[in-house]
Amino acid sequence: MKHLPRAAALGPFVALAVACLFFATRTDRFLTGENLSLILQQVMVVGVIAIGQTLIILTAGVDLSCGTVMALGGIVMTKLAAEHGLPVPVAIGAGLAVTTLLGAINGLLVSAIKLPPFIVTLGTLNIAFAVTQLYSQAQTVTDLPASMMSLGGTFRVGGTAVVYGVVVMLVLYGLTWYVLRETASGRHVYAVGNNPEAARLTGIATQRVLLGVYVSAGVLYGIASLLSVARTGVGDPNAGQTENLDAITAVVLGGTSLFGGRGAIFGSLVGTLIVGVFRNGLTLMGVSSVYQILITGILVILAVGTDQFSRRGT
Amino acid sequence: MMTLPANPATVVLQARGLVKRYGHVTALDGADFDLRSAEILAVIGDNGAGKSSLIKALAGAVVPDEGEIFLDGRRVHFRNPLDARRAGIETVYQDLAVAPAMSIAENLFLGRELRREGVAGRVFRVLDKPRMLRETVAHLDELKISVRSMDQPVETLSGGQRQSVAVARSAAFARHVVIMDEPTAALGVKESGMVLQLIRRVREKGLAVVLISHNMPHVFELADRIHVQRLGKRVVVLDPRRISMSDTVAVMTGALRAEELAGEMLA
Repeated sequence: MKHLPRAAALGPFVALAVACLFFATRTDRFLTGENLSLILQQVMVVGVIAIGQTLIILTAGVDLSCGTVMALGGIVMTKLAAEHGLPVPVAIGAGLAVTTLLGAINGLLVSAIKLPPFIVTLGTLNIAFAVTQLYSQAQTVTDLPASMMSLGGTFRVGGTAVVYGVVVMLVLYGLTWYVLRETASGRHVYAVGNNPEAARLTGIATQRVLLGVYVSAGVLYGIASLLSVARTGVGDPNAGQTENLDAITAVVLGGTSLFGGRGAIFGSLVGTLIVGVFRNGLTLMGVSSVYQILITGILVILAVGTDQFSRRGT
Repeated sequence: MMTLPANPATVVLQARGLVKRYGHVTALDGADFDLRSAEILAVIGDNGAGKSSLIKALAGAVVPDEGEIFLDGRRVHFRNPLDARRAGIETVYQDLAVAPAMSIAENLFLGRELRREGVAGRVFRVLDKPRMLRETVAHLDELKISVRSMDQPVETLSGGQRQSVAVARSAAFARHVVIMDEPTAALGVKESGMVLQLIRRVREKGLAVVLISHNMPHVFELADRIHVQRLGKRVVVLDPRRISMSDTVAVMTGALRAEELAGEMLA
């Protein structure tokens, strides 16, 4: 029994290794430095979103609005810089402010008003989507200042080009790992998710913890907006639609329980890579994107099923 | 041996005329309460006698409509459990209020984590994990609680061990009073014995213990005095060495009136 949690923590790594092995035997192009670097570049946006999603799921919540909030942040940044001529740092700051504000709205509704996170974020998903479409008039924003895309630039490791944004993602994972593990605030996130009543009785300001988690997630979605803009070179009003479910899939695949209080942040990175490897490998095999969506759907249900099953009786 | 009259100097926690109404239901109807230092006071009463409302008022979980509470002779007003805790009154709740997935050390310091010195601790709230681990070991040793590792999640412990961790947490932080709500209710015989021993050790530390229990043998084994609560009031305080269990139950249920008891049975 004692070693069960440890074995369960290894599950995502095993799944990732199996997925890599599978695609490596299917196509020669999978296991090349160039392709692996491409996978990292493809997952950096969803990877950063998954950090925010992990924090929220650890408190037994869920954020369905993550991808569309990210898209709104991207539109705000790019429009302000490209069409209103604001300096790039100011435009980026404004985009971050918008995603943080949406995080704060989610957080206040969940913590102070005590509405269920599922419904609240379903609401903000639609609000963020509609505002994005209205503000951008459903047009892609192009002709961005070059400095806005600097995180999409590359440096060489050995013979392979790596995108700066990937480094940003890895640093954010490292930082979140430290905060969750070594600080009182991080432990309170786990306590609030594990037993909210006990957390309250021991004097933890549970509402403030929840609000902090949703606001932090909003900041992270804003950083994801910037990475998305840097990667694609445009402000896309339809960005974030696959990221919405992919981020939740990544977190659950990574072993974080939807019941809250259990999970590890690096699991979400592995889960993100699993999703990325599947998308990339299936594309290389020539499988159409509709099937990729189908497989992601199955993956998330499998992961949630495993979570449900393994927690039963404890 | 003569039982001394309540000496104000040794009374730690006192309540006078507590009233608590919920709509038309009067849960507390002018209840009094006296707890002496370093004693185990059992609080017994039938369902609906108001013992849980009384305990909640003392622990800050409910605010009484009327009446006064004194801690060490000073009037106190608890608005929530945190106020009571800050005043040195700790409560072990029946469902223990632990985070099962978190370790023993983490649960012991939940909400009062020790942080590193300097900026790291103050601003970034970085934990002093080695010190928390050391102090957890010391607290558990003091109460002779044995567990394999302070790092193991509380959910891997037996019921009695979990209860012990919850008691140790309260004993570690209480300065005056530990309130225990049905500490042996969910336990088997052997584990109950372990927890009863533990409660005695908490008293030996010099803390006053309020024990709420339905289990008469446990009450008689542990308690120095027995507070009988009935119809929202304290009807009598009994000396368990001078009254039988069946008479106690009779007083509790109203079959025997407190005035009919011999004076020596009162504490």
